[in-house]
Amino acid sequence: MVGAPPDTRPDTDDALLVVRAAEGDEDAFAVLVQRHAPALIQLATRLLGTRTEAEDAVQDAFLSAWRRLPEFQGRSSFGTWMYRIVTNRCLNVLRSRRPTAPLEAVGDVAAAEHSTSPARITEGRDAVRELREALDLLSAEQRACWVLRELDGRSYEFVAEAVGISQDAVRARVFRARRCLTQALGAWR
Amino acid sequence: MTDPIEPPHGTSTHEDDDELLPCGRLLSRAWADWEDQARDDRSRDGEAGDAHPRNCPHCREAVRGLDELESAVRGLRTETAAADSYDSEPLTRRIMDVVRLELRPGRPLPLGEPAEDLWIMEAVAARTLRSAAETVPGVRAGSCRLRHVHEDGTVEVRLDIHAPLGVPLPDFTERVREQVRRVADRALGMPTAAVHLRVTDLLPPTADDDREGRTP
Repeated sequence: MVGAPPDTRPDTDDALLVVRAAEGDEDAFAVLVQRHAPALIQLATRLLGTRTEAEDAVQDAFLSAWRRLPEFQGRSSFGTWMYRIVTNRCLNVLRSRRPTAPLEAVGDVAAAEHSTSPARITEGRDAVRELREALDLLSAEQRACWVLRELDGRSYEFVAEAVGISQDAVRARVFRARRCLTQALGAWR
Repeated sequence: MTDPIEPPHGTSTHEDDDELLPCGRLLSRAWADWEDQARDDRSRDGEAGDAHPRNCPHCREAVRGLDELESAVRGLRTETAAADSYDSEPLTRRIMDVVRLELRPGRPLPLGEPAEDLWIMEAVAARTLRSAAETVPGVRAGSCRLRHVHEDGTVEVRLDIHAPLGVPLPDFTERVREQVRRVADRALGMPTAAVHLRVTDLLPPTADDDREGRTP
């Protein structure tokens, strides 16, 4: 591994590194950061939409983890723990982005007849760009649930734990997000 | 809203957002079937029990938008994939710069003679002793605490290690103990009264262990 911190072997498993980091070993923590950052950056980029915001969120999440490590009991893996911290950090960022909730307005549009043959969505870059823009129409919670489920391919059970709500609530949010997105993409053509 | 045909699936958890299709099923149900179907197709070549979603024109129409959404989703998934390509070096450096500035509450331990008034933080000594233990090929060190500072300035070390499988442990742990004792004494100037070892796991040796038996 390029630039691996000294004194810590790159193949040391997470559980050992977590114990060391909790005892104040910064080098062990650096290995954890380097190891888990790429997956967490991917998650945060999907949740927030830009790489810069994603990097800030992941940095905040790791710093919060460093401070809380002594209390981390290892009930889940370090990766899952970080996934939750990053998801929550991103949720807060998304919530602070929109002081008003356009959700109701979007819901009204989405409640219009879906079954009257939605316009075909063109494949390719345009559709992807439209989808990216349409994600901004979702509420923070809908977006988080939808991203974890659809882009990250997580189970409803996993999403429920990561977001801290019931599986039914996750299903409801993913359903609403899908209504909103199909509507937005269908209306575009 | 209730479904007169199939009550178990008819109660919507989506309230006013849901919609009753002309076939009597709820939109949420048609979409859930679509999702299950997509999963089943992947896991067992799709022999779904319920033929309705495939045969009903209303249900098929209802999921068409989802199929179309799915192709845009695939594009976005690819576009945002970073897990295999992200260079985490700069971010790691940024994070560690902040981490190293933060003061962690820690315990100072005496070094040398009492009159010398020389101290070392426990975390720093522990890191040095973990490295010492890892000079024995196959060792991965975990928790390391320095406890019971005696009157004469000696300390007791408690160290958890992962050891390689298939190695006689008494000899092996004695080598680890010797390394820790030596480094504590010579590099830190901190004589040990005892080095308590706890083997917390046995791991198959890796190629690294043969190659990089780092002996100081």
